[in-house]
Amino acid sequence: MPYPHTTPAWRRYLRLIRSPIARDVDDELRFHFQSRIEELTALGAAPGDARRRAEEEFGDINQVRSDLMSIDHRVAAQRHRREDFSDTLADVRYAFRSLRRSPGLAAGVILLLALGIGANAAMFTFLDTVFLRMPAGVVDPGGIRRLWRYHQFSTEAQFWPGFSYAQYDAVRTALGDRARTALYTAPWKVKIGLGESSGEAQFVKAEAGFFALTGARAEIGRLYDSTEDRLDGPQRVAVVSHDYWQRALNGDRSAIGKPIVIAGSRYTVIGVMREPFVGVDLDAADIWIPLAFEAEGRRENGPWWKSPNINGFQILIRPAPTANDAQLEQRMTAVLRRPDFGWYSDTLSVARFGSIVRAAGPGKQEQEVQIGIRLAGVALIVLLIACANVVNLLLGRAVQRQREIAVRLALGISRSRLVRLLFAETSLLALAACGAALLVAYLAGNLLRRLLLPEVHWASSPLDGRVVGFALGVAVVAAIIAGLIPALQSARADVNDVLKSRSSGGGREGSRVRSTLLVSQAALSALLLCGAGLFVRSLSNVRHIDIGFDTQRIITATVSYDDHSRSSDSTFPARLGELASRISTIPGVRHVALSSARPMYSISWLTFFTETDSSRRGFSPTWTAVSSGYFDASGVRLLRGEDFPKTRGGPHAVVVNDAMAKLAWPGRPAIGACMRFGKRTEPCYRVIGVVENSRERSVIEDASPMYYLPLNDLPPEARGWTANYVMLSTDPRSAASVVGSVRGLIRQAFPGGIPSIVRLSDYLEPEYRPWRLGATLFSAFGLLALVVAVVGIYSTTSYSVQQRVQEFAVRIALGARLADVVQLVVAEGTRVVAIGVVLGVGLAIVAGKLVASLLYGISPSDPATALGVAAILFVAGIAAAMFPAWRAARVDPAATLKTD
Amino acid sequence: MATDSLDLLQGTLDVLVLRALSWGPMHGYAVARFINRGSDGTFKVLDGALYTSLHRMEERGWIESEWGNSETGKRAKFYRLTTVGRRAVRSETTNWNDYVAAVARVLAATPEPAR
Repeated sequence: MPYPHTTPAWRRYLRLIRSPIARDVDDELRFHFQSRIEELTALGAAPGDARRRAEEEFGDINQVRSDLMSIDHRVAAQRHRREDFSDTLADVRYAFRSLRRSPGLAAGVILLLALGIGANAAMFTFLDTVFLRMPAGVVDPGGIRRLWRYHQFSTEAQFWPGFSYAQYDAVRTALGDRARTALYTAPWKVKIGLGESSGEAQFVKAEAGFFALTGARAEIGRLYDSTEDRLDGPQRVAVVSHDYWQRALNGDRSAIGKPIVIAGSRYTVIGVMREPFVGVDLDAADIWIPLAFEAEGRRENGPWWKSPNINGFQILIRPAPTANDAQLEQRMTAVLRRPDFGWYSDTLSVARFGSIVRAAGPGKQEQEVQIGIRLAGVALIVLLIACANVVNLLLGRAVQRQREIAVRLALGISRSRLVRLLFAETSLLALAACGAALLVAYLAGNLLRRLLLPEVHWASSPLDGRVVGFALGVAVVAAIIAGLIPALQSARADVNDVLKSRSSGGGREGSRVRSTLLVSQAALSALLLCGAGLFVRSLSNVRHIDIGFDTQRIITATVSYDDHSRSSDSTFPARLGELASRISTIPGVRHVALSSARPMYSISWLTFFTETDSSRRGFSPTWTAVSSGYFDASGVRLLRGEDFPKTRGGPHAVVVNDAMAKLAWPGRPAIGACMRFGKRTEPCYRVIGVVENSRERSVIEDASPMYYLPLNDLPPEARGWTANYVMLSTDPRSAASVVGSVRGLIRQAFPGGIPSIVRLSDYLEPEYRPWRLGATLFSAFGLLALVVAVVGIYSTTSYSVQQRVQEFAVRIALGARLADVVQLVVAEGTRVVAIGVVLGVGLAIVAGKLVASLLYGISPSDPATALGVAAILFVAGIAAAMFPAWRAARVDPAATLKTD
Repeated sequence: MATDSLDLLQGTLDVLVLRALSWGPMHGYAVARFINRGSDGTFKVLDGALYTSLHRMEERGWIESEWGNSETGKRAKFYRLTTVGRRAVRSETTNWNDYVAAVARVLAATPEPAR
């Protein structure tokens, strides 16, 4: 075996010049030559001959030397890697073992981080799909612009992406060859097939140019071209998405050429879109048909493409690479201000490009998306709280292990290695948490999508590489934050102090860090709870808005047919009337009436005159044709006057709502006033009643003027309006059985018809959704924060009680009563909470501005909410400190003092 | 350089070096002596090739090296087999013997009569 050796002094200097590897190779070769020459001279060779012979036997010395050096370099690198790896492995093994000894702590940390990271990953995936991710399968999506126009609407000014065909045509002509353009309609849910058992799909009407602009290609079959998409004679052809083909057509290649019934009309499937293209909207499209079918089912005077009223088309523009966006925008602004474009084509109109990702603006985001953005901030706060708590837990653990660490330091472990060792522990925890977080993110991501945007047809899974990357990134950052403070603090500990002191006491500095963390946790919890309180109160405010209708009792029923034949059936209104009288005999039905429109579903206007004004006025009331008994059935209360008479033949009558009465006849009684419809010379309809205001379109809106005309005595101007809906009111408890009976009656009376029976409360539910959503999600996060904070206070207090057990023993031995000790401990916990609450409420008032636009009927700095939150946190804080306090008070002084 | 000696294949040299080291740790010069004495001058290995072989097998993990003092008290680099290397000696030796036996069989064989 080789023996240890000492390096001669002169070689140490050489080492500075040559690398150790070159030195080793040279040493080895020198030894070889010396030995060989010695041996040869011993056999009698002359020194010169011996050297020559040795060199001869060796071969190309320089070549071998450089070969050996490059091999040795590789060997050295290999060894380094192996050593690093085995060090890390040892660290991880050590971390794993030490965590297994305290499974409660490990589980707690993993759970906290998983919730924190998972919440953030879920929010990231939501925002990513809504704002960041470009539509899949689109060629160069960054080069495509979505056209918006800015308008002053009656209530507010905003960007709007809808255009009429005439506007599109003008824009296209103005842009000329400086850009490619395409027109399409946003995805819309439509019936596929016939009868009640028909399915649903998202369909898009698009110009043939839409495919060229987006770069969409057919997987099998073909896409339609401009000859099949002629405005005046389109072909009934349809292209389906790959997903729809798999899902609804069983991925059968023979589906090409087969018919498909879309919204009651028969089309031929000519192609399947190549994956992953599902259109350019968040909502994935299933079917594309030629744009020219826009007029389908509409009664319009003249061709639809000249109508300024059909203006919901989306315009996509791909400017030429040389084109300047600002110049194009200016050009289009000038075009859109043409007066013959009807509404909103005034001098305020501005054309603006936006990203192909619609939510990226410049239009207003949906309330749900706005809530989503706020929630991302909330998720970040939850992560901060979780991190603070994890730091606290790890700090407590570090203090407990101070002796062990001091011993390691005394035995010569370097401080950097120690930090690495402790860091391995947090990294391991963070990694485990990351795995759990992805599960949380997957579940929560799906949940968020369903909650925030339930109508959207999602094409992609909530988890993808980017989300995993994001979660890993957050986990690393969390590991650094949560691991660094305890690790540094342990490494800084003075070995002598720790080993000499008898107790395993935590440093004063450590406890200061922990109190700071506790205060910030309490503050952030208070902030989130304030948010939750504000959203819950907004929801309750919105819920209590009186919309005029008795939403819990109203049910509307109607019939539709696959082939639009109802519109031509003149007997339909009479048959609906018969149905109504039959429905009135169902047990549980209180009132039944007929109306032309479903409440809050459709609105219409008529030209009318009163005695005093012209038809030009500052308000435009909407109207509904109703039968007698409508107000009883709808729950809209009659304020003055009377309902329409049951029988016809009396004088012409009209009923107005309170807002209309005040606007049309200010300062005068409305009852008895006269309204003439269409022309001034038409007969007079006298106002016989005034009813309370009801909502026109949405739950939250100002009272708008409305009036009601009798279905059996409509003025000539309103001819063509007929009874479309049976409206009934019922006890909410028997609603389900009533719906069933009504369905049966409709099947009987309208064979082949498709019943559509809607409870107004169900219909309105989406209106409340954003509010409920804000309340639910903020409450969930607030509660989570509260639980985390309470756990933090509890664990810190019980830890400090453990540390001070001797102090308590002395106090009790000296005569302190139970209450004194409890008070002493609880006071400490309460102090932390108090500082936290004050800070948190202050923060909440500042941050309230961020959510002000999402609240209803409550100020972001609402004092009652702040007080409520303070009270909740205090009670929770005291409760959390109570248990450890109780334990402190029951310390047995004799036993405790003897152990030391 | 003896031009009439046989040239050795690289793999063969490795077997010889491994065999040398199977007797215990040796420095490079001792390995060279072992091989050239054992062959009785039938073939002659260039000493440079030998060192290349040693270093390459160290990279492969078959042998490991350490500096020590030679029998004459000089500083020398010693090589010894690792566990992997010991296994390699067995399998390489077997391979080599099989190879030699196969060559011998072919040399001894007479052509079969054509049918």
